[in-house]
Amino acid sequence: MFENFLKFDIPGEVISSLLVMLIVVLLAIYIGIRAHFQNPLKKPKGLLHIAEIGVSYFDNFVKDITGTALPNFGGFIMGVACYLFLAFIFGLTGLPSPVTYMAVPLSLGLLTFLLIHIISARFTKIRYFKRYIDPMPVFLPVNLLSMWAPLLSLTLRLFGNAIAGWALLTIVEVGLRDASAAIFSAVPAGWNEIFLAPIPLALLHAYFDLFSGLIQTIVFISLTAIFIGQEIPEELNISPLQERRKTT
Amino acid sequence: MNLMAAAVAILGVMPSALGEGIVCAHVVDGMSRNPEMYSKLRTTMILACALVETTAIYSLLISILILFGIGK
Repeated sequence: MFENFLKFDIPGEVISSLLVMLIVVLLAIYIGIRAHFQNPLKKPKGLLHIAEIGVSYFDNFVKDITGTALPNFGGFIMGVACYLFLAFIFGLTGLPSPVTYMAVPLSLGLLTFLLIHIISARFTKIRYFKRYIDPMPVFLPVNLLSMWAPLLSLTLRLFGNAIAGWALLTIVEVGLRDASAAIFSAVPAGWNEIFLAPIPLALLHAYFDLFSGLIQTIVFISLTAIFIGQEIPEELNISPLQERRKTT
Repeated sequence: MNLMAAAVAILGVMPSALGEGIVCAHVVDGMSRNPEMYSKLRTTMILACALVETTAIYSLLISILILFGIGK
């Protein structure tokens, strides 16, 4: 009865995605415990210092774009950014990169998509449904179609970038392997394929994994913050300058 | 036939390359006019380039799908 229990057919990308999540969660717990026991009058050291820089950077980033209506939104953005960047550079370890599996960018896009609608419904209450008949009721089918545009564009941007880098790297890898086998044919078989690939592949990995991953992470979190900032009504959006005037 | 279709699909990267060139040209213009904005303009330029690249990536994705995914 139980012989097929726990025999899932899980793709490798999902397992590496779970590993990335585990890394992020363990880091967050470790930093949280250290921040809890840290004396606030002393200078933070090491990892805690880096985490504080990151937290203040993301808080300022969110405050610049969405205003002060969502005070704890920086944490979400920082979590997504950590996960996405680690997922992009996870391909460097030799394990499959999670972003090259369509479900992972789709879940991230779905997260943003749901947040857009939940936050819009939370701030505008019943007027939320007005967005579907925006200029006039004739535009209902157009609006019903165009509401999926953010989801599609976010998902396909991440997936396309990752899969393009992966395909290019694989093509270069196979080409260099065969070229090396043809040039160094005097070396015994199995060892003649390893001479050309290391240096060009290292440069390409640095571009496609590190640089492209960083840029796509920045683009993803900027777009998420911009899409969500659009949903917050103007009167709730108190800029830091006005807040300062109010308190003084 | 698949190879032809992939070649036609990848043609969509041309306007994207043009657009990226326009973005970079204008940013260099702005940098030379007022150099103290250099770091801000560079960040915005990278963001804009990544956004412009999106269309190119769509066509690359479609051509990769045609080559490896569908029709086999």
